[in-house]
Amino acid sequence: MLDALLQGLSLVLQWNAFSLMLVGMALGFVVGLLPGIGGAATLALMLPFVFKMTPVEAFAFLLGMHSVAATTGDITSILFGVPGEGLSAATVVDGHPMAKRGEAARALGAALMSSLVGAVIGAIALAVSIPIVRPLVLTFGSPELFMITVMGIACITSLSGMGTRAQIKGIAMGLLGLLLATIGQERQSGILRFDFGFIYLWEGLDLIPVLVGIFAIPEIIDLAVRRTAIAGNAPAALGAGAWEGIKDTFRHFWLVVRCSLVGVFVGILPGAGGGVAQWMAYAHAAQSAKNADERGRFGSGDVRGVLGPGAANNSKEGGDLIPTIAFGVPGSGAMAILLGAFLIMGLHPGPDMLTKHLAVTYSMVWTLVIANAITVLICLAALPYLALVTRVRGELILPFLILLVFVGSYTANRQIADLLVTLGFGAIGYLMVRFGWPRAPLVLGFVLGKLAETYLFISMARYGYGWLTQPLVLVLIALTVLVIVLPYLQERRHRAA
Amino acid sequence: MRLSGAALFSLGLALVAGYAVYAAMRWPAKAALFPLTMGIPLFALAAVQTFAELREPAIGAGPLGRVVVVFAWMAAFIALVLLAGFPIAVPLFVFFYLVMESREKLGVSLVLAAAAWGAFHLLFERLLHFPFEAGLIREWFQ
Repeated sequence: MLDALLQGLSLVLQWNAFSLMLVGMALGFVVGLLPGIGGAATLALMLPFVFKMTPVEAFAFLLGMHSVAATTGDITSILFGVPGEGLSAATVVDGHPMAKRGEAARALGAALMSSLVGAVIGAIALAVSIPIVRPLVLTFGSPELFMITVMGIACITSLSGMGTRAQIKGIAMGLLGLLLATIGQERQSGILRFDFGFIYLWEGLDLIPVLVGIFAIPEIIDLAVRRTAIAGNAPAALGAGAWEGIKDTFRHFWLVVRCSLVGVFVGILPGAGGGVAQWMAYAHAAQSAKNADERGRFGSGDVRGVLGPGAANNSKEGGDLIPTIAFGVPGSGAMAILLGAFLIMGLHPGPDMLTKHLAVTYSMVWTLVIANAITVLICLAALPYLALVTRVRGELILPFLILLVFVGSYTANRQIADLLVTLGFGAIGYLMVRFGWPRAPLVLGFVLGKLAETYLFISMARYGYGWLTQPLVLVLIALTVLVIVLPYLQERRHRAA
Repeated sequence: MRLSGAALFSLGLALVAGYAVYAAMRWPAKAALFPLTMGIPLFALAAVQTFAELREPAIGAGPLGRVVVVFAWMAAFIALVLLAGFPIAVPLFVFFYLVMESREKLGVSLVLAAAAWGAFHLLFERLLHFPFEAGLIREWFQ
């Protein structure tokens, strides 16, 4: 195994593979800044270019591009409040308020370093778990997957803030997110729900326009109303906080590790996707707050709200690759496209990848680590200059932010209607901010809603109500109850103390 | 008791939930289960919130004029995309926004509009070969 690991490293460091990885990284860096055309879309666009490459070159190119896009997505999320990737939206919640306070460099430093730690943990998980992951994945059927999504939905209570009114608003927004996820054709019966006669709605609402509208447009409005730079008149030296952000990663190292493991775990689960990983990690970070005061800081610029999603965003790449390589079962849309690359290369995911082509498999592990390490180092070097963007007059960058939002929304599906959806959800997002309704629970509900419904119906069709008595389901039910009551128990203990 | 903006938002949420429940009641059980499970408690919570908001003092109107102007610019960009397509709409929007809304000098606006077009063209058209729709005007003339 060690031989294969070293051989994988030497394969990635060969001139051809390494230079192609750099080209992929450059491309991933740029597209990562744009919402919509994220990792999966770019993978699809670049697939035709890999025909003449060797397998190691092809995966260095594609994975280098994909993993970097996940990292750089955090940059626009923090600087402008525009999610660079659909997956980076959770970073907006605390990262952008930090930028507004003049702590852009600290937030970026924290996001980048936690991304690197997350990528390394994801790669280690991939390297270690490939031989042993089969029983784990096979243990998780639809009932267990349904309970995991329910556990994710239960995190809404952690994202809602304390107090009855805050909880009402948070839970209501979570329910609205779940309700929005039901728009479109119901998969079991074929009934069209809430389509209002529009063919566009048959497939349901896409995540990117909803996310970008809800998070980015209120920030654009805020910037336009303030008529200042993003950082306003904050006095802090922008570049000086980067080191502080790096140190934050190690100050909260176990949180970063836990959130990375959340990312790996969600990545392994088929169909869950990176958005789920980020929001679950964010919810876990919020839940780790010791009391209501600490939890109240989440959403208004707590660095832990940047560290958790940053780590999970990159660690889930390693997790995603595990079922893709081991069984040919892609964990996400991007991995489904990568599976196409396997077939183009003449490789068949499964036992061969763990025996005959083990060196190629480990070259992927190394690509994840090396590509992320290089990106983080480059970004850290450029960080003071990146953070300077928050000092540019708002009036000057506003048209570019509007372009970023709408071009990004369009490139996700090439639908003009997505632009209208973005604008509509922008208005809703603005009103939510104005009247104090939390946005995070809505997104969590929306991301998990479709999955929850699908898994529930498969479970019911296959096991009736019997699935509720399966041992692992019972454990997950207990954990879900714990997720719901933990904030209240913590608060009670804090008051008693 | 007064109908403030916050109360109207909560009321809107209650109406959305109410409609969802009403619509779902006409569907078969499989399709209706999830919307009903979400819609009924959402309606109840939004109604509670509406009554609570009615008893509270209204939040100030805020800079409504400026908000409407920015939304109008975004709507104008969408209309421009629909008519002329992205490659033309991008530089035009940047130029007119900078000149008319930001009151930038003509030269600066031209340079920034050209930069926006250059970056867009290089990334989407040259590098990614991303297919953008041409826009209605070109279609009318074809």
